[in-house]
Amino acid sequence: MSPLRSKAPRSREKRLDTLGAWLGPVSVAAKEFAATEVFQRIRTFAQSSSDDLLYALRILTGIKESVTIIHGPRGCVAAGLYHIAAGSETRWIVTNLDERDTIMGADRKLRTAVKALYQRYRPQVAFIVANPVVAINNDDIQSVVEELQEELDLLIVPIYVTGFSSQNAVSGYDTALHALLKYLSGTTTVTEKSGAVNLLSVAEHPLDRKEAQALLEALGIELNILPDDSTVESFKSAPAARFSIPLCPDAPEYLGLILKEKYGVPFVDAPRPVGLEGTGRWLKAIGAALDVADGAEELHSRKTAETLQQLGDFSLAGTTVYLSLSSANAFSLIPFIEEFGGVIAGITVTHLDRLHVRSLNELASQNPDLQIHVADGQEFEVISILRRLSPDLYLGDSTHVGQVARLGIPTVSLESIGIVGYGGVLRLARRIKSALANRSFGDTLSRVIPPYRESWYNRSDNWHIKQEVK
Amino acid sequence: MSHHIEGSRNSCALHGALQVFEAIEGTVPVIHSTSGCGVQHYLGGTRLSGGNDPFGSPPVSSTNIREKHVVFGGGSRLREQLKNSVKVVQGDLYAIVTGCSIEMVGDDVPAMAKEGVDQDWPVIYTNTPGFRGDVHQGYQLALRALIEQLPGLRTESVAVQAGQVNILGVIPNQDPFWRGNLQEVARLLEAIGLFPNLLLGDGQDVNSWHQVPGAALNLVLSHWGEQSARLLEERYGTPSISLDGLPVGTAFAALLLQVTEKLGLDPERTNGVIAREEVRLRQQFARLADIYYRTGFQREFALVGESALVVGIGEFLGKNLGLLPRTLVITDNPPESVQKSLAARLGSIVPGFDTKILFSEDRSEIADVVRTGKAGIVLGSSLEEDVAQDLGVPFLAVSFPLFNRIILERGYAGYGGAAALLEDVGSVILADSLIHSV
Repeated sequence: MSPLRSKAPRSREKRLDTLGAWLGPVSVAAKEFAATEVFQRIRTFAQSSSDDLLYALRILTGIKESVTIIHGPRGCVAAGLYHIAAGSETRWIVTNLDERDTIMGADRKLRTAVKALYQRYRPQVAFIVANPVVAINNDDIQSVVEELQEELDLLIVPIYVTGFSSQNAVSGYDTALHALLKYLSGTTTVTEKSGAVNLLSVAEHPLDRKEAQALLEALGIELNILPDDSTVESFKSAPAARFSIPLCPDAPEYLGLILKEKYGVPFVDAPRPVGLEGTGRWLKAIGAALDVADGAEELHSRKTAETLQQLGDFSLAGTTVYLSLSSANAFSLIPFIEEFGGVIAGITVTHLDRLHVRSLNELASQNPDLQIHVADGQEFEVISILRRLSPDLYLGDSTHVGQVARLGIPTVSLESIGIVGYGGVLRLARRIKSALANRSFGDTLSRVIPPYRESWYNRSDNWHIKQEVK
Repeated sequence: MSHHIEGSRNSCALHGALQVFEAIEGTVPVIHSTSGCGVQHYLGGTRLSGGNDPFGSPPVSSTNIREKHVVFGGGSRLREQLKNSVKVVQGDLYAIVTGCSIEMVGDDVPAMAKEGVDQDWPVIYTNTPGFRGDVHQGYQLALRALIEQLPGLRTESVAVQAGQVNILGVIPNQDPFWRGNLQEVARLLEAIGLFPNLLLGDGQDVNSWHQVPGAALNLVLSHWGEQSARLLEERYGTPSISLDGLPVGTAFAALLLQVTEKLGLDPERTNGVIAREEVRLRQQFARLADIYYRTGFQREFALVGESALVVGIGEFLGKNLGLLPRTLVITDNPPESVQKSLAARLGSIVPGFDTKILFSEDRSEIADVVRTGKAGIVLGSSLEEDVAQDLGVPFLAVSFPLFNRIILERGYAGYGGAAALLEDVGSVILADSLIHSV
């Protein structure tokens, strides 16, 4: 049976035992994942965190000549403004369901919206995004898709996110990519291969995508990049590619998996190209798979020498560093920090699952007592941990960096700097140097007290995290 | 019946209520909904209002309900979250706000809030599903909850100064200049001997809200505060003065006189204040005169924003600064009766001049009407910057959302606001004139 038959893929926790809440030494985490069953954890106190809807929107914002229609109440499109601010050219529409619609259904409104947007913009593709309300009242999106697809001769892709069926927002990437492949990439394996290679860039910073692109093009590889900065054509061409190269082993995993299983495109097993060592390993894996090993090695040594020269005396010797990042970024930055003499004080990752077992085992063998914390958006946990560990430097990419920095710890936000490749090393080093060289902003900020009670800080950092009762 | 919207700038009721509670010091909003609601509010609201982020993060408490709660109800999850919110987060007030999913499931939120109150926790609640309205309804619902439920939590009587004035109708972040606007209103009311109770912003806490019933007057600065003012009049007999728009520059003199008369203040003192402020404004006009004529300051303008802002800025530009209102777009969906009176008022800013007035929150519809009408300068949200570029005219970001402007203390209300507006409008026109002179 085709893996794309269903409306949406299984959630990450069902497919990969993904955890969104956990705290303990890496050695214990590694043991948990060595067992056949991993128990889900839940929080009895929680803070806002991203959901699959937000992550799906993040994918759609990168697809050109598209319109995105959120079939739901008006607030579900709020993040669209943020994407417009960040340069998205997608048109963001909400069907604006009112109370009556939530009871009676509103497929008529959806039809009107699709038709109006088609008339106005003549897009290449229209996305219809579900959300908690239509997931609960079961509004019939599918029949609207099938009807209008024919009537308007327009590609329409329904994306069945719910906001509540997965605890891990990363499931939203899978749901969006599932739908994009299902509706845009054709139904069969392509036997006639093109010369191109898919670069799987999922929700990356544009600098990261461009850095990877430049490296691969320097090796003479012709690229088909998706889903970031892509078009309908990129998805149509993807099944004919020779290989798929991930820019990260996590976010694009499902995309690579389906391209392999359904369309027969081999997937290059490569780490995230972050840090000198990580970028070298990424290039090496690609070199071996695509038969450009010599070029890849030459490129790596040349770029490494150039980068080291530009880094000059950059050193983290004796600096304790806390990482609070997306899982792939955190695991790939550890060698970077250590390469320059830094000491990892602890890490927070957004989620932990079977895709991270290799990294986890490596860490467990080198540094079994290192504390790993799994949380997305739970800054009260991060703040309490940081107060205890009091590291010299904090690297984070979450939406709560501004609150964490109130602890007075030198802070670098990775949200808007590309960290991939050799350029990424230089950018990150520059930011770290600045953060350590002048702490005056953070000193002032540290006089603003975070809103948590002393009694919370005095308790264990995970008293509120429980094993889920099935 | 509601209709689809492109690029909506009015978000939802839940987000509007959050904007109120986040602006009251010591108040902890507790979201009962799916996990993404708070992040949507942060990304699509807080981050786009020019640096108005009290927590430095998305909201600090949220039940993040899951499939199980959608199927079986989320009451027990809320009970647990509320109990632990009190344990973990410092607060003088915990305000439960609900999202769509939980309203569809039908959780008994009032009962949960009552359980909390029975434990002596300061808890209020408001049902704010996005399918029941936008930011403005959320603002009204939050104020209603504060007005109706806070008296039940008050343990001791609150002393209130004579001459206290509650300021209503300013929606935090939906008006990115709300802090500065409130501060300027306060400065001018203090000058005539009153004690403004701003209710939102720095130094405004739950105690400020406990003082609301004892005020001598409610000053309502937009249509969105009228419901609360009516409620307060019913409960406490407090009189109110309601304005359609934020008074900018000389328009503030009329308000000061009206307040003086209503509260029987010393007219001489008020006239003295007005005279002093007017002299300052006149001097500022005089200093601007050379640039005004040199750069062709006088031109047609398009203005896009909330009704209070369009009335305030539109009238100042038209009635005081000599500009011509070409296109005025009101984005906050006022009810039809209010639309009628607004249209009449805005249509006669410059008598005899044809002004196009549109009520819409749809990005493309707004862009079309501004583009068709043309203008020599566009003032609006960052969503309108593209149209200004298409028209090749200067642009000033004055309404939500703001993509590339930081607003910490700036405001456009009052006399101080008039000066700020002269600086900002003048600067973009001046910069534009340099581009075109080479």
